[in-house]
Amino acid sequence: MMGLPMFHVITGGSGSGKSAYAEQCVLDLGPAERIYVATMYPYDEECHARIARHRQMRSRKQFATVECYTGLAGLRVPAGSVVLLECMSNLVANEMYQEQGAGEGTVEAVTDGIDSLLGQAGHLVVVTNEIFSDGLQYDEETARYQRYLGEINARMGCLADAVTEVVCGIPLTVKGGKSS
Amino acid sequence: MILVIGGAFQGKQQFARDISGLEDWADGRTCGEEELDTCSGMIHFHEYIRNRLAKGQDCTGIAERVARTNPNVVLVANELGCGVVPMDAFDRRYRETVGRICTGLAAEAEAVYRVVCGIGVKIK
Repeated sequence: MMGLPMFHVITGGSGSGKSAYAEQCVLDLGPAERIYVATMYPYDEECHARIARHRQMRSRKQFATVECYTGLAGLRVPAGSVVLLECMSNLVANEMYQEQGAGEGTVEAVTDGIDSLLGQAGHLVVVTNEIFSDGLQYDEETARYQRYLGEINARMGCLADAVTEVVCGIPLTVKGGKSS
Repeated sequence: MILVIGGAFQGKQQFARDISGLEDWADGRTCGEEELDTCSGMIHFHEYIRNRLAKGQDCTGIAERVARTNPNVVLVANELGCGVVPMDAFDRRYRETVGRICTGLAAEAEAVYRVVCGIGVKIK
């Protein structure tokens, strides 16, 4: 893995192909212990369908799936493993709105969690979401959600070796040279 | 096939006219379903998909089909999906379906342009 980025942030809109791209990035790193950190809490039928679709996409790619809805800093992963966390937008919503979540301390809780994973994993890929460009004015609570996710994305972008935006399945480099 | 995408009101249509030289365009807001197979170019392709979804049609496989039936078509679509997840289930399905179809089209296309501020950037 010499010369490859250790921390890769992948962003994109809904249906942009960012998940498929992120999984391919992990596979391109070659044989490794692969951990998939799933953050979507299955609260309704649509979530179940979404989760099933992603499980189908990952089948035969040899990921061990670990669910983490809140408290990322407490998550333990095998030393040196390749970790794919998906999706940051869900983790942030969970921290903000679930009973055991960090509430107003969401940004710190999540960034501590990222630091913690970076201390354990050999390679970290985080999928996040572009939810900032529809130009609509939202209620105060939704705007707070956008602000928290935006802050976390910016902090991750600062730490990351590579940031990629996926558009129609095509990776566009935002930061860092070689995408992986 | 050429795919031109970008946010609303970015000058996609003019850009698509300039690069393709096409005069006659089907309009996805109003055209018939079959025109996707026969037109030289289509604007508002996302609205074409929206209309079909609104009629309860299954749109999976459209990208692969158009690549077969109309391989030289120029398609112009809004890039959706970069906002907060909509409250309405149809809106969620609409933007995700358009995203997946455009991803499929991009895979088949010989060129993909993304237009920002009237400037087309070739991303494939």
